[in-house]
This record gives sequence, C-alpha cells and structure tokens, in this order.
Amino acid sequence: MNKFTKKTNPSEDGAETGRKQTPWVAGLIFKMALIMSIIFAAFCARLHLNDKTEQLAREASEIRKQIEEKQKEIKMKEFELAQLKSRDNINAKIREHNLALRAVNPSQVRHMKRFEGQVSTPSLYGGDTRVADTSANAMKTSAGGI
Amino acid sequence: MTLFRSMAIRMALVYILLICGFCYVSSVLYAVQIKRHDELFGKAQNTYTTRIETHGTRGEIFDFGGSLLVGNIPTMDIIGDPANIYILNKKDKDRTETECRMIADFFEKECENVKSDEIFRRLSRRSFTTKDKDGNEIEQDCHYAVIATGVDYQTAKRLKERVKELSFHGISFTGSYRRKYPKDTMLANILGLANFSADKFIPVQGIERSLNDAMTATSGSMVFERARNGRHVTFANSRNEPTLDGYDIFLTIREPLQAIVEEELDLMCERVKPHAAWAILVDPETGDVLAAAQRPTFNPNDRNTMTQESSTNRLSELALEPGSIMKPFVISYALDKGFVTPGTMVDCEQGVWKYAGRLLHDTHNVGKVPVTEVIKQSSNIGTAKVSVMMGAKNLDAALRSFGFGQKTGIQLKPETSGIFRPLEKWDSLSVSRFCIGQGIAVSPLQLARAYCMIANGGYKVDLRIVDRIERGDDVRVMPVVREKKSIFANPTTKKMITDMMIGVTEAGGTCTEAAIEGFHVAGKTGTAQKVINGAYSNRYYASFVGFVPAEKPKFVLLVTCDDPTVGSRYGGSASGPTFKAIAERALKYMYVQPQMSREEWLAERSAAQKALHERKVREDALVQARREARDRQLKEQQAKQTSKKNGTTVASRPSSGSKSSTVRR
Repeated sequence: MNKFTKKTNPSEDGAETGRKQTPWVAGLIFKMALIMSIIFAAFCARLHLNDKTEQLAREASEIRKQIEEKQKEIKMKEFELAQLKSRDNINAKIREHNLALRAVNPSQVRHMKRFEGQVSTPSLYGGDTRVADTSANAMKTSAGGI
Repeated sequence: MTLFRSMAIRMALVYILLICGFCYVSSVLYAVQIKRHDELFGKAQNTYTTRIETHGTRGEIFDFGGSLLVGNIPTMDIIGDPANIYILNKKDKDRTETECRMIADFFEKECENVKSDEIFRRLSRRSFTTKDKDGNEIEQDCHYAVIATGVDYQTAKRLKERVKELSFHGISFTGSYRRKYPKDTMLANILGLANFSADKFIPVQGIERSLNDAMTATSGSMVFERARNGRHVTFANSRNEPTLDGYDIFLTIREPLQAIVEEELDLMCERVKPHAAWAILVDPETGDVLAAAQRPTFNPNDRNTMTQESSTNRLSELALEPGSIMKPFVISYALDKGFVTPGTMVDCEQGVWKYAGRLLHDTHNVGKVPVTEVIKQSSNIGTAKVSVMMGAKNLDAALRSFGFGQKTGIQLKPETSGIFRPLEKWDSLSVSRFCIGQGIAVSPLQLARAYCMIANGGYKVDLRIVDRIERGDDVRVMPVVREKKSIFANPTTKKMITDMMIGVTEAGGTCTEAAIEGFHVAGKTGTAQKVINGAYSNRYYASFVGFVPAEKPKFVLLVTCDDPTVGSRYGGSASGPTFKAIAERALKYMYVQPQMSREEWLAERSAAQKALHERKVREDALVQARREARDRQLKEQQAKQTSKKNGTTVASRPSSGSKSSTVRR
C-alpha cells in the first residue's frame, strides 16, 4: 500500500454502500436496456417493412412494365385489325381468292316488331302482318340496319 | 490530497468535458437542424428528389361503329450517347471511332431511311462548346445523338436484343408514339393529319385540327424521392399529378357506306376522267354525314402523296356556282308561298329569252309548260320567270331560308359560307341568275344541307360529322341541331316539290340514268359553267343530287364531277350513273325494302313513257299547226303586197293564232 491507495475494509463502508447503490443502478440499467431493445426492435421492424415495401414496389414496377408492353402489343393488334378490315385489303382478298360475293337482297331480310305478345313483320309492299309471338326471345330491331 | 478527492476532481473534469462536448454538439445540431434547416433540406430535396413529366396519349378517331380510322402506334426512338459509346468493355478513344462506324453500319442495315455516314458523324461528336453564365466558353460532353426515330415497335424490340447481344454500349431505346392511318386514303381529306415533333403532335388539317383541343392529352408529373441508385423510395414522400388521355372521337361516318362511296367514285373517275370529284351521303333527319369522299386524295401515311390539289377538303372549303341544282329551292318556295302551283303554265320562250338586256338560254327548246315540267326538263327560262315573278326580296328570303350564305354547323375547319351577295348589292340581272345557280357560290356541304331540308319536310338541320367523344366513362354526345319549325308553311309543299323531282328520273326527265328499280328517286341534275379567270369557261361542274326513297328518304346523296373530260359533260350523264350505283348499294346495305315490285315499277315507267310520247305528239301537232298558220299569214302578206303594186286590193283573213309570253297564276 502507498499514499495513492487506501485499503479500506470492504466489509465496512464500501460493501454496504455498494449494496445500497447496486439495486437502483441495476434497475435503471435494466429499464434503459429494455427501452432501447424495444426501440431497436421497432426500428428493425420498420426497416423490414420498408424492405418488403421496396420489394413489392419493384415487383409492381415490373408488372406495370409488363402491362405496358402488353398494352402496346394490343394497340399493334388493333391497328392490324383495322388494316385488315380496310376496303383495299378486303377487295384484294376477294380478287385473290376469286370469291363470288354479292350484296344481300333486301327481300331476304325482315324486320320484326313486338306488339304485346304478337310479332309484326312488315310486308314487302307495305302494311304489317301480325302473328302470335311464340318465341320468348323474339328480337326487337330498329328499321334501317345501321 | 486523498485518493477520493483526486478521483472526484477527475470525475468533475470528465463531467465538465462531457457537458462541454454535449453543449458543442447541441449547438452544431441547432445550427444545422434548426437555423439552416430550410437551406439544407432544400439542397437534399434537390439532390434526392426527381420529377418526371408524364404524357397521356392523343385521342384516336373511329367511325360510328367503332372501327379505327386514326390511331396511335407505339414506336421507339433510338438514341446514342456519344460520350459513352463503346463496345464490349473497352473505352479507348481510338477504338471508339471504329466502334462508332460499326454501330452506324449496323443501324443503316437494320433501319429504314438511316444513313451510316450521318449516324457516324453524330456519334463521333463526343463534346461540344458552350458558354457558361459568365460568357466563358466551356466544353461539355455530348450525351444525346438521334440515330432513328419512329421505329416500328416490333423492329425496335428485336434491335434492342441485337444491340445487347453485340454488346453495343451507349445506345438507348425510348418509347414514343406515331399517328397512323390504317385505312390509307379512306376519308383522308376529312380526317386530315397530325405531325409529331418535339414530343408533341402538331395538327395540320381536318378533324385532327378542328378537334385538336379535345384529342390533346394533358400532361402530369410524378415527384418522388429516390435512393442513391436512382430507385424510387416507396415509403418516402411522393406526389402524383395524373395524366389524362385525350378524348376519342367517334364520327357519324359508317365505314361500309364510306367504302361504297369511295369505290364508286373511283369507277366514275376512271369513266369520265374529271379534274376532281366528290360525293357526300347525309341523313336528312339528323344531318349525320354518313359518308364523304373526294378525288384526288392522298395517303396520310405517305407524305409524298400530299399536294395542294390532293389535300384540299373541297367539301367544306370550295365555293362553286352550282347551276341547275339550285332550281328546286326557288320553285319550292314559290309553291309554298302560293306564287305558283304545279300546274301553272310558264312560257319558256323556246329556249331563248331576253331579260334586263341579256339573253338567257335553255339547253333545249321548251315551250309553254307547267311548273312541274320546268323542274323535270330543267328550264333556266322557266325558273327565271318564276323568280322574277316572286321578286328579288322573296328570292333572297328563299335562298337564305335554305341556309345559303351561312355555315352548316359541321365540325370541320375551315368551312366557307359561300359567296351570296346581300340584297342591296344585287343588280338587275341577279334575280334571273341566282335562281339558276349563277352568280352565287355555295359549298357542297351547303347544297347537301339544303336538300336535307327538302327531304325532311323543310326543317333546317345542322350537319354533323362528329357523333360523340369518349374518354373512359366520360361520354359526350354531340347534339342534333334541328329547327322545331319547318320553313314550309304549306304542309303539301314537300310532296309537290318531291313529285316534281321524281319526274327528273322518269321518262322525259334530265336523268333517267339515276332511276333505281323498285324506288321513287327524287333528284336534280346540274351542269354549271366554271368561272376561270373571272369569266365563264366551257368547263363544267356536272352534278346530280337526290334522295331516296322519295317519300321517306333514308339519305340525301350529292355527286359532282369537276370538269369531266371523257364522254358527256352533263350532270345526268356524268354523275347520274354513279348516283344510282351508290344509292343502290347503300339501300341494300341499309336493308331498305323496295317500295314496289319490279312489275309495278316497270308499269309506272312505261305509263310515264306513254304519257310523254302522247304529249310530244300533241306538242308536235301544235307546232305544226302554228307553222302552217304562220306560212299562211306570210303568203297572204305577200299576196297583198303584190296586188298593191298591181293596184288591186285583196280582203285579208284574220290570223288564227298569236304569240303571247305571259305567265299565268
């Protein structure tokens, strides 16, 4: 022992003092540790959620790109369909395959009107001919055909 | 000093140091987080916030049934980054020039309208000189060089794969759209076209231009925070201003009817080889333009076919003197107001009549005929006499009531309102000329609209070419604008004028070529001299306009040839057959039942032929009798003169007839 150290009897003041000090420090440390752990867990959970969100956003972005691709392809197909339906194309096909097509004769077409359980078919040369409507699915069409 | 005391001092020093440190950190925190918060937050935002402009797509154009007429086709632009062009993993400058050449050659082979030398020149330009804000010249890297634009989407996808395989670096593909017209020349003059420049569509003419505001998409933006790798940070703040696509336009045009009109117009052009031609098919009840075709025309997908002649929209922009097709308007007004009846006799002066010091001619000599025959035989003199009887004020009222001098309300720009002088500027000749379609200029649309008014019983109706516009669930239908009151005060006027016009396509009329089996066709021919360099020429507008079935019309059809050069120049011969062909096919398409059987139709026509023959016989007999009477009179006069010379007198016989040229009410 020298003047810088002083041995005291730990069994006298220090031990008792230490014992008196230890309960509240330990408690404080434990509480702080608990709080820090909870905060840390919250951070981790949030980071995990963010990571998941990011992953889903990436997948959504990929799917969005695929949808855009598909929409572009649909647009191309619609355009192709419009080209195929054009008169120049249809006429060319008729000539190519030598199809014997002709316009429909109006006498082949009848328009039907429903009159409360009866069906009226216009006569070719004016007037109506009414017959009982035996069909439950008789169509009601407007004159003109357009 | 005891140990405890020295420890205490040390601890106090540590505490003081910690407190000082804590204070220092707090002050720095305060300075950064509180005092400079706005400045630093702004800097951080600028660094890590990205704003992307988003663009909607331009509206497309469809026919009434939803068939695509004008669409947006996805394409890709190929862009090079000259500062970063390299192949494989080497970035050596000398090698880069070789690689630029390889890339340029590759794209010349794969893309249309791309020249290797030009691409090489663009890719070789790695930097450019510019001035900073102080005016000093600085050199900056060039990161943008256009290689090809508007490349077909499928082709661009394939090229993208190839570029990846070949390890070309510094080449990027950006999506874009181009305007495409899948029907080529169909309806081209009406649809117009739009150019794509600097990421914007610039409308040039037609529907593309007149409905540009509705079709233009609104831009939006996405503002978001990004990570260091540029990725969008989802959980951070973001703001999204949505884009709105442009409205899709649905026209009143029916594609099948349009195809019919275009085909028959082509056949007419082959037959009579006119300078130009047009046809328009309109629903008289609603004013819907069901079809409208013109020649010459152009292909909007191929700008080489666009010339001034081929791209003009003659239907709305051209004002022409219509000729005889104006006559029914004057006669119908005269009938309605009671100036004449169908049986009122009009002396057509055998084809030559002097009025206000100028001669007026008919194409063939017509004598005294009822008003019905004036229309049927298209007598200029007969119409002029009726008009003179009505007076200038009534004629002006008549023509204006049919919409001449006004626009038709159609959604096409530009549209001419024609040339129709106000009443105070008329001269003495105007009353006899305007009624026969001279001295007044009208557009084909105005003529079509006026005939719709005759066909629907006198109700003024605005023409429509746009039926509705749609954007998702937002559908807006263009209203049918139709007057509630007819211009015909007399309910029988429509029947009277229609019966007269039916006579045009019957025996003795000016256009039997337009007759359609099983139907009554009401029509009028017109052969109008073209005004060239301020004077009437020997070139003509040959027109036929009509509606069928006459009693309850499904459509009004106007067909006009501008200067037919082969065959007859008359409206009935040049345009009549085309009218018949279009009308027949249109009636079949619309499933319109014939009004009568073939036998009944033939019987009607032969009865009309017989009546015509009998009338001709009577007229010939009358002419013969007059000629004989005139000869007799002449002989008597000669005998008188001879006897005077010889000194004897001869009793004179009263003359058997006298000429008179009065119009009786």
